[in-house]
Amino acid sequence: MQETISVLGGSQTKFGELWGYDLKELIDEAVADAIRSAGIMPTDIDAIVVANMMGSDVNGQGHLGAYASSILPHHPPALRVEAACASGGVAIHTACALLESNRAGTVLVVGAEKLTDASNEDITKAIMSAGDNERDSASGLTFPGIFGLVANRYMYEHGLTRDQLSLVSALHHKNAVTNPYAQFHKEIAPEVISTSALVADPLRLLDCSPISDGAAAVILSTTKSSPVQLLASHVANDHISLADRTSVTSFMTTRNAMERALEEANVKREDIDVIELHDCFSIAALIHMEDMGFAEAGRGIELYQEPRLAVNPSGGLKACGHPIGATGVKQIVDCWKQLTKKAPNQTKDATVALAHNIGGVAATCALHILATNA
Amino acid sequence: MLNAPSLHRQLKKTHASKNADGTIVSFTTIRNAPKGFGQKPYTVALIAFENGTKVMAQLTEDGLAPQIGASVSPRLRKIRTLENGLIVYDRKYVVIAAAREPQIKIQHYVLALTGPSGVGKTTITRTLLHLFSSYAEQVPIYTTRKPKREEVEPYTYITSKKFDELLATGEMIAETTMQSTTEDRRYGYIKSDIEAMWNAGKLPIVVTDIHLLQGLEKNLGRRAILSCGLLPPGNSRRRMLSSLFHRLRSRGRDTEEQIKERIEVAKTDLAAFETYPHLFDHLLVNDELDVCAERIRGLVEG
Repeated sequence: MQETISVLGGSQTKFGELWGYDLKELIDEAVADAIRSAGIMPTDIDAIVVANMMGSDVNGQGHLGAYASSILPHHPPALRVEAACASGGVAIHTACALLESNRAGTVLVVGAEKLTDASNEDITKAIMSAGDNERDSASGLTFPGIFGLVANRYMYEHGLTRDQLSLVSALHHKNAVTNPYAQFHKEIAPEVISTSALVADPLRLLDCSPISDGAAAVILSTTKSSPVQLLASHVANDHISLADRTSVTSFMTTRNAMERALEEANVKREDIDVIELHDCFSIAALIHMEDMGFAEAGRGIELYQEPRLAVNPSGGLKACGHPIGATGVKQIVDCWKQLTKKAPNQTKDATVALAHNIGGVAATCALHILATNA
Repeated sequence: MLNAPSLHRQLKKTHASKNADGTIVSFTTIRNAPKGFGQKPYTVALIAFENGTKVMAQLTEDGLAPQIGASVSPRLRKIRTLENGLIVYDRKYVVIAAAREPQIKIQHYVLALTGPSGVGKTTITRTLLHLFSSYAEQVPIYTTRKPKREEVEPYTYITSKKFDELLATGEMIAETTMQSTTEDRRYGYIKSDIEAMWNAGKLPIVVTDIHLLQGLEKNLGRRAILSCGLLPPGNSRRRMLSSLFHRLRSRGRDTEEQIKERIEVAKTDLAAFETYPHLFDHLLVNDELDVCAERIRGLVEG
């Protein structure tokens, strides 16, 4: 990083089916709590970056930058970024650019999504805008379908079994039990996951992250300091459709972003204590861990058979919920909580944390490394 | 300008590839369809064609049960209904034959591509990875040079010290140094990377210069390398260098200074084909990318 960027504070609303909130109220709550947790005045904020994917399509509300600005007394400049499910991570990356260029000294990043007001059929279609509208959507493919293709191929290449795959969601659910902000607080046995309703075989309902409402906000600064710093921020991109890629079971964007981020942060893979991972589907979690170099190709499942790393202590997307635009920001909030010993499912002596956020079938990967300056 | 016959020939060619039979890379049955696709579950497959392109398409309900590796053939069928009631027809695929054993039996060998900078090693490799789909993989290159933002090769960055260690322990089996005015760049390959690909039943592809090739020959044995030398078009050395010069310039990755350095290196690279003929199985002129990649595929598949 060209500047020392401190994470002053962050917060999230509860994730879930929030009938009592609209999109704006979610933003209001996350922003207010984040400002409080950072211990700053609202007027200390020089700029706002909003992460949101489907406000225009689903809620009839675009122009969210202006909205976020309007709830602060001094109406700081604001913009909205969209990169499908990686909107949050890319918003953090954008905030870093504003800070590194000295365009702003303190930036508020807020991610929000309100999905449960629309029908499942409509949401399924709207989410497909993260795929390629010519190459993917025309065939009636859905996102669970895309990852179903990935899972089927992965099982074929590496011999992963259905029962092994169920360990992934089971662990994420277990992790979320103590997280008050999580959508689900229930442990689920692997056998229940293996026999839940088929969505896009081999993927079943409990392999898929839910449709959620929620918001998260974080405050980054170069002018104020805090014990937690952002050591690396990288975004990598690839073809939107799997049909244009060489591999279906490994994502180049994660590999590239990880290499560059480790280099920039000057930390080793082994130094990382906590990982917030983009487990939009159970199979994705395995592939990401392999692409980030924590396991060899085909052996990601070992990290769930014998956990030796804190992966998704918050519950991840599966159990904590996946309000699309909020997810990447919430990962940073969770990493910050871990590093300041505020996490409900605290990893002992955590000093380096990693947030891995993807959009689509990893056509975008935003990867961040945070550390305490202790 | 296209004259009539060539236009028709081209159309025919496109038409043929669109209606070609393909192979299932993977498939899944969708049970929660997006709006317009009805309530009934349907199967979508990722289908690969001979020419290396892929499509996502639905499978028909008739035909054999889908299977990875099975052959499929296109049909025109109803795919969805618009909100105004109009029916949309599109290409669906019917499974016509069960999966065969993969045609390429990978013996333990690597495919090495050697040639001067700008001859198209990277592009050919990328095309080959598409053509071979999941049967080939590019071996990561370890380098001491500083990462660039817009990296196109699978580099792993290590320090000079680490590089020396890997050489000393024998883990690194091939290395080369690029003289440069700005920094000393070293590149190498690690044996375990290649072995892991062999174990996974894949064909490792390595991009080499003469030193890397010599290292691989020494440590893997000459018979474990299918070695292809790539030449730029042109029937004299001057013409070849001139075409490299133009390619390097048009790809826009290097400064004029760097291009000059690369051309100097290219002179030695071209000379190597004559000095070490025993290190090459085939020399190919990369005039047209598709043709060259297709020929290399032919060599691999025998």
